[in-house]
Amino acid sequence: MILVGILLTLLGFVISVLSLGVTSSVGGRLAMVLVGLAVSLFGIMGVLNKAYLKNAIWKKG
Amino acid sequence: MKNSTKRVLVVLFAVFCIAPLAFAQAPAAAPAAAPATTAAVPPPPAPKPILDADLAGTPVPSADAHAKGDPDGSLTGNASDVTMSDPKKGLTIGDLANQVGQNKIAVNFVWTLITGYLVMFMQLGFALLETGLARAKNANHTMMMNMGVYGIGMFAYWLIGFAIQMGGVGAVANLGGTAPLSAEFTATIFGKPFGLFGQHGLFLMHKGTYDVGVMVLFLFQMVFMDTGATIPTGAAVERWKFSAFIVTSFLFAAFTYPLYANWAWGGGWLANLGANFGLGKGYCDFAGSGVVHAVGGLSALAIAMILGPRIGKFSREGRPQVILAHDIVLVITGCLILAFGWFGFNPGSTLGASSNGNLRIGSIAVNTMLASASGMISAMLYMWFMYKKPDASMTGNGFLAGLVAITAPSGFVNPVGAVIIGLVAGVLVCLSVAFVERVLQVDDPVGAVSVHGTCGIWGVISVGLFADGKSNYGGAWNGVNGSVTGLFYGDASQLVAQLVGVATLVGFVFTLSFIFAFVVDLLVGQRTSAKSELEGLDLPEMGALAYPEFELKS
Repeated sequence: MILVGILLTLLGFVISVLSLGVTSSVGGRLAMVLVGLAVSLFGIMGVLNKAYLKNAIWKKG
Repeated sequence: MKNSTKRVLVVLFAVFCIAPLAFAQAPAAAPAAAPATTAAVPPPPAPKPILDADLAGTPVPSADAHAKGDPDGSLTGNASDVTMSDPKKGLTIGDLANQVGQNKIAVNFVWTLITGYLVMFMQLGFALLETGLARAKNANHTMMMNMGVYGIGMFAYWLIGFAIQMGGVGAVANLGGTAPLSAEFTATIFGKPFGLFGQHGLFLMHKGTYDVGVMVLFLFQMVFMDTGATIPTGAAVERWKFSAFIVTSFLFAAFTYPLYANWAWGGGWLANLGANFGLGKGYCDFAGSGVVHAVGGLSALAIAMILGPRIGKFSREGRPQVILAHDIVLVITGCLILAFGWFGFNPGSTLGASSNGNLRIGSIAVNTMLASASGMISAMLYMWFMYKKPDASMTGNGFLAGLVAITAPSGFVNPVGAVIIGLVAGVLVCLSVAFVERVLQVDDPVGAVSVHGTCGIWGVISVGLFADGKSNYGGAWNGVNGSVTGLFYGDASQLVAQLVGVATLVGFVFTLSFIFAFVVDLLVGQRTSAKSELEGLDLPEMGALAYPEFELKS
């Protein structure tokens, strides 16, 4: 899951950079960058962090 | 809390939030064209050029007059102090022009160096703040991390970090050139050059970088990097193995920070989003809400996630428990020292006081203090209203949140904008601390992720909203003519440029930090043993207690 989280986080960055080449409209770029940000945040909070919380110290008793 | 007190707090909070909006300035309308004059006005006489001969009669105090002393200062500093290229020819216009040029650069050198010294002093602020928020049994370890990061970070930055960051920045006119920093590695993407990293300046000797202007630039940029490098120590306090801290900090100073700083400040691809893709004036981060604080805050998040929470921070059900700070006096002292140092951080980022547009240093300093005040007030009122007391550590965090948030926009916004940015940051930091602790269940003992990460990102975004188009640093920014202008003043594309920067911080910088911290965890192990943690890290890690004459309770 850690690898998936890293890849998702990076994918969000790639989507944001792609917005520069895919469209020249400000609105289109804004939408793509926001999607990229959302993907990265999901990678960090929804995947990577969850993977670490599975073995959190307070769960070990 | 009594209902009357509650009502007073609500009213106060509303006043602080709404008042600035009421006074916010709309973009000024273009002035009406002046009517054409019909009366013929004679042209002013052409100025008479000053000749070398005119300088020959410049009165200079005699040696006898000087010998009697100069108590009122009227004799000291005169034409005889101007360096003459050829004393036989006497003072020439060329000598005067050279002296004026050198004076300008000297003013800028002194300004940049002194503000750099102020930023260096912020290390003490961080050290006191973090140590105060830790428990007494970890005080030596926490202070050592804050001192250690200065030396380790500087060494890594001198070896390679500075070259990556600034090796291709080109001429910095305020510092007289810095011409040797002229090689940026670029890749062509979407048909445009993407600057990725600098190549000159290794060891401050490589490719002619043993240069006075380069030295000034190095000192100033080094203390900025070190501010970023010390942020993760706060999130990792009380459980970070000292050896792992050293390796991780070295990697931060050598690669993580310099890469993003190159993209934003060293002539890299983010700075050129305006020139290459028509997005405003490119990514604009005046003094480093993103470059310094968000990079540090996101690295702190990566390290804190890998480290895991301190023993006792969460109950078996995952509920956060309070672990008390050991010295609020240190915490508040640290916050005030940091606020003082910020007067170097933001106004110093002009890299000069004597050049086109550099007189905005007054405006930048005032924006800085206003945002710190409004951040402190909104955080204090928020805590008072929500938790019944004006919590000291969160008020301090609000103070710093306002400063972090105004760092990027300080050079581009007006005072009303600065107050709004600070107000938002003060509340945002309180919400973010609760989110990180309760939702993410990440243990961040000093709130570094929220203060520097969350509010750093807010600062970057706020440039795209509040930049008022009135700043003028030589008529262009990042190679695009005009002043930086945000969405509220008519340029939506600036906001997009800022968001691309945020996406890079969250998507790339976090990932790179995480990978470095993960590898160090595999090779060295990031976390101390449970036994050491319970005992306190002062003895097991450092070999000495910070407070040996007091009995400590674990």
